[in-house]
Amino acid sequence: MLDVWKKTQRNNERPRMLGRNDKILYKLLLLITIISASFVILIAVFITLRGILPFITDNSGLGSVDLWNFFTDTVWLRGQTFVSTAYGAGFLILNTLYIVFLSLLISFPISVFTAVFIAKIAPEKLAYLMRTAVEMMASIPSIVYGLVGAGVVLPIIYNTARSLGTHSSGGNSTLAVVIVLAFMSIPTITAVSEVSIRNVDENLEKASLALGASNIQTQFKVVLIAAKSGIFAGVILAVGRALGEATAVSLVAGNSRSGPNFGLFDITSTITSTMLQGLKETQGIDYDIRFSLGVLLMVVIVITNVLLNLVKRKVGKLHG
Amino acid sequence: MKKIIVLLVLIAIGFVTLGCGNDGFDSSQRPSVYTRDTTSGTRDGFMKGIGFGDAAANDSLLVDGFATRDNNAIMQAMTIDEYGIGYISLASLNDTVKGVNFNGVEPTVENVINDTYDLKRPFMYMLRANDDWESQEIKEIAHAFIAFLHSIDGGDIINDQGAVALPSNYTWESVRDTHPICQGDNSALTLRFGGSDSIQRIAEALSAEFSPRCGNVVTENDHTGSGDAFRRTQGDQKDQVVGKHIGYASRPFRGDELNTPDDTRGQLAWDAIVVIIHKDNPVDSLTAEQIKRIYSGEYETWEDVIE
Amino acid sequence: MGKPQKVKDIFMKTITYLGSGFSLLFLTITMIFIFSNGFGLISFGLFTGDYHAKYYAGRPASVECEGCEVTDELKGYYSSVYGIALYDDFDRAGNVVIKVSYVHENSPLLNMLDTNNPNQSISLKVDDVVTRVAFFDQPSALTRNGASMMIQSMDQSTEIRELTFSTLGGGIRGSLITTLYLIGMSLALALPIGILTAIYFSEFAPVNRLTNLLRSFIETLTGVPSIIYGLLGITLFIPITVRLNLSQGANLFAGAMTMAVILLPVVIRTTEETLKSIPNSYRHASLALGANYTQTVKKVVLPNALPGIMTATFLAVGRIIGESAALIFVLGTAVKDTVRVNESSTTLAVHIWTVMTDEPSNIELASSIAFIILIIVLILNIGVKYMSYLINKKLRGVV
Repeated sequence: MLDVWKKTQRNNERPRMLGRNDKILYKLLLLITIISASFVILIAVFITLRGILPFITDNSGLGSVDLWNFFTDTVWLRGQTFVSTAYGAGFLILNTLYIVFLSLLISFPISVFTAVFIAKIAPEKLAYLMRTAVEMMASIPSIVYGLVGAGVVLPIIYNTARSLGTHSSGGNSTLAVVIVLAFMSIPTITAVSEVSIRNVDENLEKASLALGASNIQTQFKVVLIAAKSGIFAGVILAVGRALGEATAVSLVAGNSRSGPNFGLFDITSTITSTMLQGLKETQGIDYDIRFSLGVLLMVVIVITNVLLNLVKRKVGKLHG
Repeated sequence: MKKIIVLLVLIAIGFVTLGCGNDGFDSSQRPSVYTRDTTSGTRDGFMKGIGFGDAAANDSLLVDGFATRDNNAIMQAMTIDEYGIGYISLASLNDTVKGVNFNGVEPTVENVINDTYDLKRPFMYMLRANDDWESQEIKEIAHAFIAFLHSIDGGDIINDQGAVALPSNYTWESVRDTHPICQGDNSALTLRFGGSDSIQRIAEALSAEFSPRCGNVVTENDHTGSGDAFRRTQGDQKDQVVGKHIGYASRPFRGDELNTPDDTRGQLAWDAIVVIIHKDNPVDSLTAEQIKRIYSGEYETWEDVIE
Repeated sequence: MGKPQKVKDIFMKTITYLGSGFSLLFLTITMIFIFSNGFGLISFGLFTGDYHAKYYAGRPASVECEGCEVTDELKGYYSSVYGIALYDDFDRAGNVVIKVSYVHENSPLLNMLDTNNPNQSISLKVDDVVTRVAFFDQPSALTRNGASMMIQSMDQSTEIRELTFSTLGGGIRGSLITTLYLIGMSLALALPIGILTAIYFSEFAPVNRLTNLLRSFIETLTGVPSIIYGLLGITLFIPITVRLNLSQGANLFAGAMTMAVILLPVVIRTTEETLKSIPNSYRHASLALGANYTQTVKKVVLPNALPGIMTATFLAVGRIIGESAALIFVLGTAVKDTVRVNESSTTLAVHIWTVMTDEPSNIELASSIAFIILIIVLILNIGVKYMSYLINKKLRGVV
């Protein structure tokens, strides 16, 4: 807050000393700000409106999509494209959550250890190098991660599956998506965790050291616990991104049409990868249903976010 | 990089065969099976041709220890690996390896064209029905295209992509005048192709060369599978966004697809596949059943095959 | 400190080293893969070339080539009858092709009758791809038979019936231009709106519910996945551009509008942070000298926020270059050589998507484009670091 305006702002009114010009500027700025802020509402309204159309219209004679079926079915489309409207996305929800959970199992430990390393353990120069590396990872576009997944991860998985005696279709699999998403989550979780680790009260650390705990002990038992809320915030951020990631995922998923696909070497599909599938040559209901998937994606993200925030609040309360 | 890997593999195979000694063919050896990967159209045609269609997209049905290689690498392997067996498209066959007679018929272009050699599949096309074109211009262009793909010039493109074009006795130049539509500017018109994805490369090469020959007509190739050749030109999807002017199929038309006017469909080429082995291998001829047993692992040694 | 504790400490310390080792390993693998696969195709021609090859067919007017007995060593095989040298190579999609390495100045192939447009003449150029040579008296020479066979056939035959050739293709000029257009157009929309919003929040906004609400709405935009922005573009921006008669379908205007919405939170946050870091003494000084608020903002606040605005611009450019999912919906996936703002086209990132989802996929070309993107992103990163250095220096100088 700027103290020039402090008084007026606290009184909940516009700055008092404004001249005529200033008032015009103020109104203009307010208008632009309202426009900026309105986009999130436009997104919600427009996509939801279009997304519920397949459920309430008869889709030019094909009949409306059954809502219950859409949320629960294990086959993307029963019957022929452009003829049937028996769409089901239930398995996509499970696949998406399952994949994001598994990717977190990889990225979370690596990120937290990296963050502790950068913030507390590494010598200054090494910490600088690692911080730059993490920044670099964060700025690599997702399509490039998808490309690396297709070029590096897929062949490795294909060969691993073969040497294990199982079948994988060219490496396209749940495991491939999990690894690519883990790659992409690491910079997010690491960056947020590092900041929250460094922001832990120094006195806490000193007290622990004074009580005779070793430096490492202090970092893991005191600092990390104190920073857990911040680390969790990083996890929430990463989960949100992983749920919504589209292009990188669909380059390595294999795009199954039914599920749920829990086998690590089986092809899979997520909500987003299905939205991108066959985009070039589609129309009518098969196109509109992508908006329904978009609404579904937003709902899944919001619910996951709310649940994780509840957990975060609970976790934050433990240990004071 | 790829070349280096292939070279290393070849050297390794070379050492193994040298180590075994080079004194003639030892028929108690296991056949070493080479295959294309599951995305290959040649593999699909081969497996279906030998009656082993289940293995077209499933590696786990094949004999243990098979090797996955591309067309050239299978050729090269067969020059070194005495006990190897693989398959390639007919156009790649040369005298460094032995092409096996299939069901007693020699793999030659003549035998493919006179329809005696069986390990092959036809490449077909289907046009829209005669009264079902959005404009007369696009209909004429489509017919010019069919004339082009049956010409020597079109045939060259098909042969260059590894298929066997049907014999032709006219050049595009000699029939161009009977298709006056191609002398104007057609760059505002779009000719849409679809159907089989194993014909995609040939189809795209044909489209690319046809466009400048017919007033720079825009061509769009969108290949989704043989079933869509009929479905999207004369079937239930013909009037949707995905509808096509010309559809390709990599198999004979069947069922409903044959209830279309004769002059709206035809063949453009054969895709012939040859089983190849090392020159020292005494085997000259194999039946579909024998090849299937080798690939599925029922035959354990070359002796089993020869008996 | 007991011994077991010491062992434990070393263990935990090792684990942190391992963890960061993993992170570093992932980054290294990514870099090595992109650089090793992508570097091979990087050339001047990649940036300036068309993506779609152009095909020609011609017939040489004569079979004479005076003084064509070249003795210099040429790449590949040389035909002294036609004065051209051909060699086997790969195109940018990894297909085997026969390329022209040399054309003699008297070569009859420099003056061929265009068999597709009989009144025009065309000529073969170095780096063109010869796809086929057809004759009257013998079978055609095809690409699959190789350059040596093709030259041999040409020398043996009495006359060429038709020589078909094409440009190389696989270039990224179109995508490069689209990317530049999109950067310009999106920034033109996002920067003014974003900066003005940031000024409102930092200089004018009263502390009340409305401000908090507006702020949280804008913050929420950060969490919206880009594929959802793509849907917004389809339902809102493309219809707007169609209604305004700017276009008939996917187009760059709608792409830029969609991109602008994606960029807003980044621009607003970065600019606002810089505005807040400007010491209030600056504003006091300006006001004390009799300037009004508008003048203060224009003459004092904004100029001092310039490094922050530059940072926002750099971050925004990075985001535009890397965006794929939203643009696949709003801008389409068909690569164009002639870019028009009212039609669909692809940016570099979407170009990667297109060649990766093609059958067969082209990892090498995709890696080359990724290589270019990574270089740009690296430069932008350095730019951001330099700007934050400038801001810090300035502030330290004042306080």
